[in-house]
Amino acid sequence: MSAWNTAAGGGDRSGVEPAEEVLVKENQSSVSLPSAMTPSSAVDMSFSTEMPRKRKGCMDNQDTKSISMDMDMDMEDMEDEQNGSDGEDRHGKMKCFREPHSQIEKRRRDKMNNLIDKLSAMIPSCNPMSRKLDKLTVLRMAVQHFKSLKGSTNSFSEASYKPSFLPDEELKHLVLKAADGFLFVVGCDRGKIVFVSESVTKMLNYIRVELIGQSLFDYIHPKDMEKVKEQLSASELYPRERLIDAKTGLQVQADLPVGAVRLYSGARRSFFCRMKYNKISVKVEEEFQASTSKKKELQKYCTVHCTGYMRSWPTSQVGAEGEGDADKQDSSHFSCLVAMGRVHSHSSPQVHREVCVKPTEFFTRYAMDGKFTFVDQRATTILGYLPQELLGTSCYEYFHQDDLLHLADKHRKVLRSKDKIETNCYKFKTKNGSFVTLQSQWFSFVNPWTKEVEYIVSTNTVQSCDHSRTDRSGNKSEQSSDYKTSDGKKSLPVIPGISTTPGAMIYAGSIGTQIANELLDHNRMNSSPSSGSVSPFSLPRDKCPQTHNQISNNVPNGEAPDIEIPGKSSSEDEPQGAAFTGAESLMEENSQQDLDGMVGPGLSSLSNDDAAMAVFMSLLEKNTNVGEAVDFEEMHWSL
Amino acid sequence: MTANKEKRRAISREAARRRRRVESEVFEDLSRLLPLQPSVQAHLDKPSVIRLTLSYIRMHTLLKGETGTKAKASHTLTCGQVMGRHGCDGGREEKENETEDVEASEETNLYLRILEGFLIVLSTEGDMIYLSDNVSKYMGLTQNELMGHNIFEFTHPCDHEEIRNNLRLTAEEVWCGAKRDFVMRIKSALTHRGRSANLKSATWKVLHCQGRAKVCVASSTVSCLLLTCQPLPLSHTLLSKHTFTSQHSMDMRFTYCDQRMTLLLGYSTDELLGRSIYDLCHTLDIKLLTKNHLNLCLKSQSVSGQYRMLVRGGGYVWVETHSAVIPSVRPSKSRPGAHQPLCILCVTYALSGVEEPSLQLSVDQIVQI
Repeated sequence: MSAWNTAAGGGDRSGVEPAEEVLVKENQSSVSLPSAMTPSSAVDMSFSTEMPRKRKGCMDNQDTKSISMDMDMDMEDMEDEQNGSDGEDRHGKMKCFREPHSQIEKRRRDKMNNLIDKLSAMIPSCNPMSRKLDKLTVLRMAVQHFKSLKGSTNSFSEASYKPSFLPDEELKHLVLKAADGFLFVVGCDRGKIVFVSESVTKMLNYIRVELIGQSLFDYIHPKDMEKVKEQLSASELYPRERLIDAKTGLQVQADLPVGAVRLYSGARRSFFCRMKYNKISVKVEEEFQASTSKKKELQKYCTVHCTGYMRSWPTSQVGAEGEGDADKQDSSHFSCLVAMGRVHSHSSPQVHREVCVKPTEFFTRYAMDGKFTFVDQRATTILGYLPQELLGTSCYEYFHQDDLLHLADKHRKVLRSKDKIETNCYKFKTKNGSFVTLQSQWFSFVNPWTKEVEYIVSTNTVQSCDHSRTDRSGNKSEQSSDYKTSDGKKSLPVIPGISTTPGAMIYAGSIGTQIANELLDHNRMNSSPSSGSVSPFSLPRDKCPQTHNQISNNVPNGEAPDIEIPGKSSSEDEPQGAAFTGAESLMEENSQQDLDGMVGPGLSSLSNDDAAMAVFMSLLEKNTNVGEAVDFEEMHWSL
Repeated sequence: MTANKEKRRAISREAARRRRRVESEVFEDLSRLLPLQPSVQAHLDKPSVIRLTLSYIRMHTLLKGETGTKAKASHTLTCGQVMGRHGCDGGREEKENETEDVEASEETNLYLRILEGFLIVLSTEGDMIYLSDNVSKYMGLTQNELMGHNIFEFTHPCDHEEIRNNLRLTAEEVWCGAKRDFVMRIKSALTHRGRSANLKSATWKVLHCQGRAKVCVASSTVSCLLLTCQPLPLSHTLLSKHTFTSQHSMDMRFTYCDQRMTLLLGYSTDELLGRSIYDLCHTLDIKLLTKNHLNLCLKSQSVSGQYRMLVRGGGYVWVETHSAVIPSVRPSKSRPGAHQPLCILCVTYALSGVEEPSLQLSVDQIVQI
């Protein structure tokens, strides 16, 4: 694209005349153009839009013009310019055939000049010149340079058949370099490596010579041996070829009979296998070995994508050194696989990184409501739980009560935004009851096709220092005091018929559910404008950021029109009631099935009213400032 | 006055004609030097001559570092190569080990065929400095027509951004030989039957480009990108026990799955229907799968990299998937049957066995009672 821009900028260099033409044109263009564009920009614009398009369509025409035609055009054009015949509207009409001749000519000239510029840049003798050389000189120097290049290297000789820009050898090397691959030929019968290219040294670190004559199977991962055997074989014991028809996507049985014919026809093979990688005798390697032995094993193999063809050569050609006499084949043909192996990049740099000191991190996935759906195995060493212990439970059950507030807020945010949301440091309860400080980065994963949130991905990093406290907004002292006071109350007030565990469960687990439902509802609301009534969730949405641990006297629950909470009136309610309101309305409004699925089986054993009562009663028993109704630390979460 | 003007005009015209004649001569000289068939040489126009000369010089500069070592090693093979192109093995002067010769010439002969693609050398601005001559098989345009032009003229405008990102090479990347792997759409002037048509009626062809950066330190440091471009055919993939096919709706939920998947991953085919592939992969591979998915949506074909699919009950398998969007098939007279909507067809290759079988990472792996 830059080439075009320079051309558009009017890079005429060959002599004075053309420059004048350019000027003339520009002046005229300014006259004809009604809008307030500057001439150069007008020219630029027309060029940048016209040229590429013209190229695509009419490139063939231009390139096949012969030299003689070229000359005639030049002549005409010059005269045209001098006559000043360009009243045409070249800025408006961008069509190929409607283009004025002068425009075509100008473009051609600019292209030519551009090429000459490039050429002069490439020719060493042109470079030292301070001023720009004219076209003819550059061309002459190009000829000389060319001749010198041809003379120096033998491989560019075109004495015989097909002259090419690049000799095969060079081409081969380039291909191997680009593909990160090596060529190999293995006999089908026993996998004997007949040939392997030099690039194998770079790829697998074996010397070429030591590989030739060996069996391929010695270098393949034991688990992949069967796979490779299958690919090499032509025997009828193995399943027939299966091809896929791209148009219908259906599998089609190959019509070719299995066996010898398959080999002759140059059947294609494409497979992946793990090949041994020769160890480097460098210190670095020892460091790796010092780390887990599993890693060492991983490094020894690399994944190779092999693509190639089955070939068969008459044994007469192969000669004494080939497979010919060693083979027990009665056929006079030596069949083999000629393939290129492309090495997939190894993850060794990553391994190295893990050895360095880096804060421990692990990944988790949450469903929209905060339930764990995926837990990285590294979590076990950090949290103490096996992944399966966490799966299905809500993350809010493990968050420290002080952090519920801001994490819920972030949760809400992440569901609505495409960005990565960073949480502050928070505490996560480990298996043995203590807390570990984490800091996470969340982002919601949206299905590219449906644009719906599928889940939230969380990168959790362990924080070593205890700066968790300082990051929180505002109500720290209150929170700490809350924490302390709630410490004193170790148990829920006894409510006949209801155990404490499910009650607490409602609280934590439902936060996530509530947030998720908010989003769903929000989306539903947005899509269906008919729902005019205030959603019960609009209330908590405003309030939750301030709830749980704050002393603000917020909008009382009484505002929510459809919520019937026995005895709940405005002033005496704790702000946290809002969360419960949400939870309660959740219970009431949503289907039971919803709840069971999300909050846990324990709840189903309670009726809605009972649960509401339990929660409410626990609130009423406390003083206003208390952060928590329940002391989570003593709770044993189980689902 | 007019007489004077006329005279001056005549002089300038003469001068111009003379100049042009000289210029044409030089152009002819140059074109004769180019390694092209004489028939092609005669019909080259001026810009093309310069274009091809540029390519030649650039390639030469690029390979300067290499020719020193390689030329010696391959000296004996030069004749063989040129001959080898045409597959004949007679008339050679050198009498080396016959096996080796045959293999060597076969080797060079087969390289590009095995590659199933063409090689392209791109400058950092996108100029196609060099293309291997089999490019005509894939694009319908010959090497000579394309060399020296800019790749942005031939690729889909929506892919330009991505291509530009891939062409951007920092100094560090160049010296380390940074790798590139992406999918792009390029014009193809081939008809269904494989004949070359006019560029105006070109269709888009999806190419998988893989390669690395290359640098050459000559008078000035020149860096470029070496890429192999391969089309992604699904039509002749040999399937084995370690690959399975699956069909998905456009949001990557399974709509059909091969039975061989059960052997590899442990889920029954019914279990997977309706499940999104994103649920079945390791979290760390999400980015890769998303890129794959987007490529499919935009370019209709894609190659995922290596990612992990979770196995039922625990553990995971490394796999690689080649996929394509199958256009919707409407029932017609010749093909009555159910309407098949737009869907994604995937061929998944298993790269490893089941790793860490006792590890349950995701809720989807938990064996349901």
